[in-house]
Amino acid sequence: MAVLGIESSAHTFGAGVVERGGILSNSKIMYKIRSEGMVPMKVADFHVRNARKVIEDAISKAGIDSGDIEAVGYTKGPGLGPCLRIGQISAKTIARRLGVPLFPVNHCIGHIEITRQSFGMEDPLVLYVSGGNSQILALDEHPFRHFKVYGETLDIGIGNMLDNFARAAGLVPAWGSKVAEVAGGGGYLQMPYTVKGMDFAFTGILTHAIKMLETANLKDVAYSLQETAFGMVCEATERALMLSGKAELLACGGVAQSSRLKEMLGIIAESHGARFAAAPNEFNADNGAMIAVVAEKALRSGSRQEPPIINQKSRPDTVRITW
Amino acid sequence: MVNRGTLMAEGAEAKVYLTRLIGIDAVVKRRLSKRYREEHLDAKLRSERTKSEARIMWIAREAGASVPIVLLVDTHDIYMSRITGAWMAELLRKDIVTDETLEHSGTELGLLHSADIAHGDYTPANIIVKPNDAAFIIDFGLAEITQSTEAKAIDVLLMKRSLNAAQYLAFARGYRNSYKDAKDVLSRLAKVEARGRYKTRTLMTGSEATA
Repeated sequence: MAVLGIESSAHTFGAGVVERGGILSNSKIMYKIRSEGMVPMKVADFHVRNARKVIEDAISKAGIDSGDIEAVGYTKGPGLGPCLRIGQISAKTIARRLGVPLFPVNHCIGHIEITRQSFGMEDPLVLYVSGGNSQILALDEHPFRHFKVYGETLDIGIGNMLDNFARAAGLVPAWGSKVAEVAGGGGYLQMPYTVKGMDFAFTGILTHAIKMLETANLKDVAYSLQETAFGMVCEATERALMLSGKAELLACGGVAQSSRLKEMLGIIAESHGARFAAAPNEFNADNGAMIAVVAEKALRSGSRQEPPIINQKSRPDTVRITW
Repeated sequence: MVNRGTLMAEGAEAKVYLTRLIGIDAVVKRRLSKRYREEHLDAKLRSERTKSEARIMWIAREAGASVPIVLLVDTHDIYMSRITGAWMAELLRKDIVTDETLEHSGTELGLLHSADIAHGDYTPANIIVKPNDAAFIIDFGLAEITQSTEAKAIDVLLMKRSLNAAQYLAFARGYRNSYKDAKDVLSRLAKVEARGRYKTRTLMTGSEATA
């Protein structure tokens, strides 16, 4: 008996099938971002056109029959409303037709759990960095078992910041990985640095970096921006690691694909005797399998059924971890 | 060269050693180099923060607050007078903290805020209590000069979370008596406590809003 998970919070429509934690399939299709960035309605249209194809592909690749599906999970948020809505409607339709339970899943918890599971980590400090989100979390038992947020961005996600810079600099594609590419061999220029305790903020550095493009060369600005932004996140992470006393450090989310960020986090973990792991890129990118993983855990641990809503601002620290 | 001495405490960004300087007992706070960080950024952060921390400690001292005396500032090191006494956090754990001490801890914060210093980590772990109940404030590593009522309210909030209701009353009495704008900060505190983000982050009760 298997669980189907559907992800549609941003540019990716994904569907994955898991069985007893094992990933049977993980199909996805990604909306190609053009110069204007993501227009929510256009992306939602794209998801509508592709939903059926991706879900059918996931089921057939898993080698199961739709009758083998015993529960369906979907991303309830955080994410773009119109995009979330498509995944929700697809999941509701399938669950109703099959007469199986439906589990709304928090997107961040999806990234954390699929990574935690694949490295067998019991109780890691988690750095979750993506386009829209940037948070430092760890399990906490009070007042109920949940992922407590130690620190987070006070404004925009780090990935969003890097993408915005890439767009202003005319980089194609306008992504953080392109910023990393042009940063190679750059020199350091002064940048604003904003860390408050274990929280951080990125709009100041973004505005500054875009202005600097008028006078400084792109390579140096890109290098300084990346080093400073990663430095901020790492300082907050190190503080949280010491405060929480956790022995494992886990990085996940789209920005955790950065080899430079992984290198920095590895050094921090090593200096505190902690074990470090970063999610493989397949799971750092948005995907349906991670939603299926959480839905299956919820099903097996007897989580109570939640109303099948979407919530664009769904927070990971409100989710009861019943497993 | 000054003897570095024995390690007393270790934080995320600095180590504190017991030492002696010009014949008196002192401590030195050394900001550590972070190998993960870009070297120019690392050098800049360490020296700027050292300078800023020393400067804020001087301003606090001038404002009449009980803080260690800065003896010497080097690129990454601050040498300061050694304060001996009991940790307020320890006294709270043993439940032997006096009303006088609680009131003093409020008075000291009021003096800092009068000088527009937000401490940034005002908890009983950063307060040393002398045998005469006087409270000394240490660790200005996260302090900033600011007129922000929000930043000041967060100082009060951190302390409030560590105290019970009766203890907080004594603390707040001292705070009100030493800072003329205490009322503004305390009304801001009520807003901070009621705010959704802090609610979910600290209490984590309730269900989410339905979209």
